[in-house]
Amino acid sequence: MIRGDFLSLNESKKKKRASKVDKVIKKLSDTLDGGRLSTQRADLLSYSHDYWPIYLHWMLEDRYPSVPDAVVWPESIEDVRDIVRWCYRGKVPIYPYGGGSGVLGGAVPEKGGIVVDLKRMRSLKLHKKDLLVEAESGLNGYYLEDYLNERGYTMGNIPQSLYPSTVGGWVGTKALGQFSTKYGGIEDMLKGIEVVVPPGKLIELKPHPRTATGPDLRKFFVGSEGTMGIITKGWFKIWPEPEKRIKLSYASNSLKDAVESIRRIMRRGAEPAVIRIYDEIETKRHFYEYDDIYGKVATVMIIEGDETLADAESKIVREEFVGKEKGEKPVDHWLETRFSIKEASEFVPMGVVFDTIEVAVGWSGAAKLYENVVGALKPIKGVLFASAHASHFYPQGICFYFTFAGTPPRKKDAEGFYQQAWEEAMKAVINSGGTVSHHHGVGRQRRRWMSEELEEGYELLKKIKQKVDKRGIMNPGDMGL
Amino acid sequence: MPDKMDWLKDEMSGVSKLTQFSTVMKFLKGKVSGPSDVVKCAMCPNMCRHACPISIVDGKETTSPAGKSRVGMMLENEVLRFNEENVFPLQMCLSCGCCENWCPFDFSVSDILRPQREESIKQGVDFKQFDEMFKALEMHGSVHGKVGKEKNYPEEGEVLYLRGCEFRENDQRVIDKTMQLFEKLDESAFVLPGEECCGIPAYNAGNTALFEELAKKMAKKINMSSAKKVVTSCPSCAYAYERLYPEFSQGLDVEVLHMVEYLEEKKRLLNLEKKGGSVTFHEPCKLVNGLGKKKSMRDVLENSGLSLKIPRRSGEKTFCCGYGGTTVSRLNEELSSSINEERLKELKGLSKNIVTACPSCKEAFQDNHGDVKVYDIAELFNRLL
Repeated sequence: MIRGDFLSLNESKKKKRASKVDKVIKKLSDTLDGGRLSTQRADLLSYSHDYWPIYLHWMLEDRYPSVPDAVVWPESIEDVRDIVRWCYRGKVPIYPYGGGSGVLGGAVPEKGGIVVDLKRMRSLKLHKKDLLVEAESGLNGYYLEDYLNERGYTMGNIPQSLYPSTVGGWVGTKALGQFSTKYGGIEDMLKGIEVVVPPGKLIELKPHPRTATGPDLRKFFVGSEGTMGIITKGWFKIWPEPEKRIKLSYASNSLKDAVESIRRIMRRGAEPAVIRIYDEIETKRHFYEYDDIYGKVATVMIIEGDETLADAESKIVREEFVGKEKGEKPVDHWLETRFSIKEASEFVPMGVVFDTIEVAVGWSGAAKLYENVVGALKPIKGVLFASAHASHFYPQGICFYFTFAGTPPRKKDAEGFYQQAWEEAMKAVINSGGTVSHHHGVGRQRRRWMSEELEEGYELLKKIKQKVDKRGIMNPGDMGL
Repeated sequence: MPDKMDWLKDEMSGVSKLTQFSTVMKFLKGKVSGPSDVVKCAMCPNMCRHACPISIVDGKETTSPAGKSRVGMMLENEVLRFNEENVFPLQMCLSCGCCENWCPFDFSVSDILRPQREESIKQGVDFKQFDEMFKALEMHGSVHGKVGKEKNYPEEGEVLYLRGCEFRENDQRVIDKTMQLFEKLDESAFVLPGEECCGIPAYNAGNTALFEELAKKMAKKINMSSAKKVVTSCPSCAYAYERLYPEFSQGLDVEVLHMVEYLEEKKRLLNLEKKGGSVTFHEPCKLVNGLGKKKSMRDVLENSGLSLKIPRRSGEKTFCCGYGGTTVSRLNEELSSSINEERLKELKGLSKNIVTACPSCKEAFQDNHGDVKVYDIAELFNRLL
């Protein structure tokens, strides 16, 4: 197998520790019988990647640069503890795996070792009176939301990856969904957590409405991307299903008009669950069927909840928004198409290199950041388009979700082109005062900007990692840890 | 109204000619075809995973819908060799078609991976469980081997009731009840002497040659009978007769209906008075997705007079019983049983009386758990009428 350029794995390293890994696999196969461990080639190749877009190109070229030594499917806490115990003893890397829909290589088994797929741990329990749901980390996201909806509740976490992703993946990557402006991110929903940390200890932090027992260790594991332990369960805040849903859409003459409108709306305390503002290119891309919106800046919005509150919020929106109201149809269109990602399947095999880059910035820097990032991406030789929509909002600022796509120019391969685009975009974000990641996380693709973003905080994070995971077995290399 | 890709053509018009985007431009203009279906599926992050019973219960990337396509792609590209170990994941498919409901390309993973399954048979990949089944089909025309003693029924009439391998082998009582129902509905029903398998188990396992052979035989027998209409209790048989036979030039001269479609036609006669008791129902995947009858079973049952408990996963969200598609239950019985438990848990929470409309589903539910009463839909209406 050809090794990838971005990953540090190499054959010699792998050979040296082969006997150690084999011993651990032997021990684990004694414990995890009944098909809970595999070293079969098809399984190893299947777990060599997540949905990191550059990996799609490698797969098409038959390149699998990060093949694990084994894959395990634990079915209980005891299974997980055994896995961590044996891997700790043998100093064998562990990579927790959920739905594999992460886009930054966070689940890529870069240094070989054992991939731990949690999808067989999927029990759930509803606590109606406390408005909580208790879910094991391998539970499918759609399964959970559908289960809650049938019983009159929602968790409100609807990422585009709802169908393939898992609850543990949401916590591990600090995910958030399309309805986040009202319901928040996973960090707002998580009330309790259960984690197995090296050398195999179980930590259970029970759910409370609030607790002041020192630094919040629950939050410590949110976004830890498998580098500190294996998340096995979470307790999450849920809501009664909304009584009323109001769908609004607007066409504005400029991005600035729409963005400023939302700033004023948020400042007045209204929190529409969904707000999405598309720049001109993305308006053309997503709303080509609407002649009166094409070429403008489209905004779609969903306000939901208690009827009195929803009506009041829609009144604020109508008072503040600068743009022409376009009714419910564009919102319905968005609802129908919001999970479609077919373009990746069509264009990547044609040689198109693409990615999405989500970042956040305060209101005062919003316009500048948008212009700087699009302005940095467009001139790169080979870029076909660079565009953005604003997808998540706070009283303090905004998340921009950039998309770029292109074909590598002559003398440049897919990786070279891809990394150049990332370099330019990240530089522009940092220079514009933004944060390099809003909700996709860090993984392996963003690790080289961690130090610049966190500065001394990154050194502290590394020290904490060394204490929690002395032998460096938990997802080594992710976030540069 | 602008075309879907006009925005991209606009953006590309400003891009330097030095870049190698001619293929993309040709693709946008429809001058070159895009990637194959398997590749498209392999490039997806599994946006139908939540609907796939295998994926939910097995939890493996390798047997997830896009995961199977990735294995298919690796086989095509010779990254993996055709052997039992590598072909096994492709066979972990219930052919339920649940993936298709969520796919922007309308792909059914079972269909798009047929060429690889066929190739594996051609290359001699030998699952002994399949060999036994193929032999039984070749020698006895039944998936279970030689058919035992059967009750005598009329051998001529207007409505030909095709009993199917499963009921003939395991539940002849249902055949009897179904014939009684036909009588109550004033139908001149009969059975086919020398009825054989429709061939779909061979088709599912990738043995197209054997399927064609069986299809040829059954099409000839049916077309030579006195039937004006064919009714079958098995949705997979109905799917084979309705959809696959014409594809393989073995079309039938008469209309074929699955029992639910037949009862839908007779709905007026079945409009029964309200009575005590509740039932829940399990819609077979081949009925819902294969034959496209998304709501028919529920509509028919709404006329039963019983209180109907609707499962969370119903209609196009139905969840396979675990025994669909021939291959999984033969190669991985434990997985079939686990999927069955998952489904049964949901149904049992609603009612201890479960109605289904597929011999395999009925068999699976009643075999695995004795604390529920499982009815075939014809059996239920025979009892109610």
